[in-house]
Amino acid sequence: MIASAIRTGRRNPLRQSWMVWAALIPVTLVVLPVIYIFIRTAQLGAHGAWAELFRARNLELLLNTLILAGGVTSLAVVFGLSVAWCVERSNLPGRNWLRVVAGLPLVVPAFVASYAWSSIDSMFQNMAGAILILALAKYPLVYLPVAASLRNTDPGFEDVSRSLGKGPWRTFFSALLPQLIPALGGGALLVGTHMFAEFGALALLRVQTFTTAIFESYELQFNSSAAAMQSMVLIVLCIPLIRAEIRLRGGRNVARVGKGSARQAQPVQLGVWTIPVLLGFIVLFALALGVPFVMLGYWLLTGASVGVGYEKIWPAIQGTLTLAGSGALFTSLMAIPLVMLAVRQRGLLARLAERLPYIVHGLPGVVVALALVFLAIRVVPFAYQTIFVVLAAYAILFLPLAQSSLRASIELLPNNLENIGRSLGKRPFHVFVTVILPNIAPGIGAALALMMLEMARELTATLMLAPTGTTTLATQVWSYTSDGEFAAAAPFAALLVVISILPVWIFTQRMLRQGN
Amino acid sequence: MTDFNRRTFLRNSLLVGGGLMMGMPALNLANAAEVQTLTLYSGQHEKTTQAIVDAFTKATGIQVKIRTGNSIQLANQIIEEGKRSPADVFYSEESPPVAALAERNMLAQLPQATLDQVRETYRATDGTWTGITARCRVTVFNPDLIDESELPASVMDMATEAWKDRVAFVPTSGAFQQQIVAIKHLLGRDAALDWLKGLKKYGRIYNNNMAAMRAVERGEIATALVNNYYWYIVAREQGVDNMKSRLHFSGPQDPGALITVSAAGVLKTAKNMDAAQKLVAFMTSIEGQKVYAGGVAEWPMNPAVESTFDIKPFDELQPPAVNPANLGGADEALQLRREAGLA
Repeated sequence: MIASAIRTGRRNPLRQSWMVWAALIPVTLVVLPVIYIFIRTAQLGAHGAWAELFRARNLELLLNTLILAGGVTSLAVVFGLSVAWCVERSNLPGRNWLRVVAGLPLVVPAFVASYAWSSIDSMFQNMAGAILILALAKYPLVYLPVAASLRNTDPGFEDVSRSLGKGPWRTFFSALLPQLIPALGGGALLVGTHMFAEFGALALLRVQTFTTAIFESYELQFNSSAAAMQSMVLIVLCIPLIRAEIRLRGGRNVARVGKGSARQAQPVQLGVWTIPVLLGFIVLFALALGVPFVMLGYWLLTGASVGVGYEKIWPAIQGTLTLAGSGALFTSLMAIPLVMLAVRQRGLLARLAERLPYIVHGLPGVVVALALVFLAIRVVPFAYQTIFVVLAAYAILFLPLAQSSLRASIELLPNNLENIGRSLGKRPFHVFVTVILPNIAPGIGAALALMMLEMARELTATLMLAPTGTTTLATQVWSYTSDGEFAAAAPFAALLVVISILPVWIFTQRMLRQGN
Repeated sequence: MTDFNRRTFLRNSLLVGGGLMMGMPALNLANAAEVQTLTLYSGQHEKTTQAIVDAFTKATGIQVKIRTGNSIQLANQIIEEGKRSPADVFYSEESPPVAALAERNMLAQLPQATLDQVRETYRATDGTWTGITARCRVTVFNPDLIDESELPASVMDMATEAWKDRVAFVPTSGAFQQQIVAIKHLLGRDAALDWLKGLKKYGRIYNNNMAAMRAVERGEIATALVNNYYWYIVAREQGVDNMKSRLHFSGPQDPGALITVSAAGVLKTAKNMDAAQKLVAFMTSIEGQKVYAGGVAEWPMNPAVESTFDIKPFDELQPPAVNPANLGGADEALQLRREAGLA
């Protein structure tokens, strides 16, 4: 992909080749776990790998994994799309307020939600329950980009469709939906690949997937080769998803000449539907926010371990902010050149390089963490168990989230902006810092916020790679809940929610504003 | 003007951010460069580990850095680290992770004096690791759903149609693997396989022990096959008087009454071998074992120390005649689980 990027660079001498080099860093990072997986799988030998792969149980796991990912993604798309349409295109009362609240389920860590639901009733501890719970937790990742995109669409298309005598539903599917596909596809890809790697939430929900089996291979056999083989399957599963998303995006030209009509779309009058739709929102928020919050409150107030471990609160906050803060900054910086190159060059290899992190996004944290243990201690022993390796792990795990937040901003950049800068005699890097960065600031803000949010919750890589003795809110929650001290865990879980509110608010605002 | 401010702001925040990003890690590096101390990788509950380490530091003056994690993941981490592992001592919630390191020839021999402090059955036969505390497999049951008199003397009888949807089990838990291997050793391979097949058909799978334990407590299912201490964890949290579920010990020498241990070993590659050996010696000494006796509902492995919890005296337990050190065979257990369709 370097070759391709350089070639396109030559065709257009004003393009910045330093960016290609900058993009090489994230690409290298993301390739690391893949290298590790290949090394470990190779140790199984062809015969062993074959035998391991074609076991009857793997078919069961494959089905479960696909049903979970497919179910959660579809349901998240249904929730995300309906919520986005209601707050952006209807005359729903209080929609300015609902617009922000609809992003809030992101503040609830998945394990809190799954614990809350699984303790309500055992009927949620199965595949259907898992799909519902995870879709409720993840739909904002679809809702936010779609809402932004809805604001951005030209209502002219729909007017034309209606004037041709098509009904509201046909207009929605033939004129509006196609314009939303890139945003919808991007969100769905994020949710889908994330589901391949989901582990923490499933522990209480009695669903077994490839990822739970990978944990099992490590747990029971201490066999990283079998786990690597299963990780390979996850990588292979991600590829068609990514292809589909590239085709959805690639086939469409999202740009448009001129600003189009400046007017907002006429809000659809809900009429008698107002009350049912509002009720729908209330139910959605009660399920996505109410249930976990009530559970947290219950923990905070009851249980014998109330008040245990308060002295750890400050170090945990400090650890969380240090790791998540520098991680967010680092990962967002890594993501910019990747997205810039993919959007600007549109060469196949540049696009592949940009999609590569999504493949690795489908890998469970334990594989990425062990890959970095294995490689770091051999290649850069002095950096092992320092924050640098944690930052690398965070970047590998969360790059796609940064990329998807940045993408909309970068796509809106006029194509010849940096050429104008260059023509004034400025150096490429200078142009980048003074012209490009300020223009994509909203995207960077969104990326930083989303990164902070996810990194504050990360557990596996943090436990393995952080400097010995580091505590974060997430490690404290884990430590107390694994001892069954839910009341002691509650303040840490609540703080995790509280410090998530600001990033979620910023992320929501940024994402929605991109539509304006 | 606005633009100018925005640009300055951006540039400044980039500088500050970059500074923070580089500065914080540098600070951490500087902190890490202080005096050499012992590094303990611990999968045991944080509070328990902290208590024993504090007692050790008080007694010897040796500082210990604790790296807390999940026992299994820590063992995997040590395996991936190989010879360069920073760990001096590994302390695990269950014995198989420690045994996995022993199998890979990564553990140093413990001195006889240390080994002699614990009950003979509960340490590695080759002397590379020792049990620290013991717990027992039990059947937790909810009296609202089942009467204790209905519970069979042997867990072997709980994998039949009569028990359909009444037994919770966790096929992926470490202690369950040991139980499978114990059954194989005691009753033969066919018995173990039939038992697993029966459980797969009639039992209900849970992904972790706490989930199974709470399911019984809440009355979702009548019984669960777990370790005794899960009951005490829930009891401590909600108060013993509020507990619905009860413990049932299987009959004498039944695999359902299997004893498993938490364990510790010293890495061959330990940079502070002396201090590392001192730590394990302390953990098994009377002084060290008293810390456990008052902290967790498990049996101290030093016969001179009794638990202060309201649990059966260790000598009244009637475990099957197997040594936990011989139950590490996760491969055997996996093979059986695969044949039974549980893996």
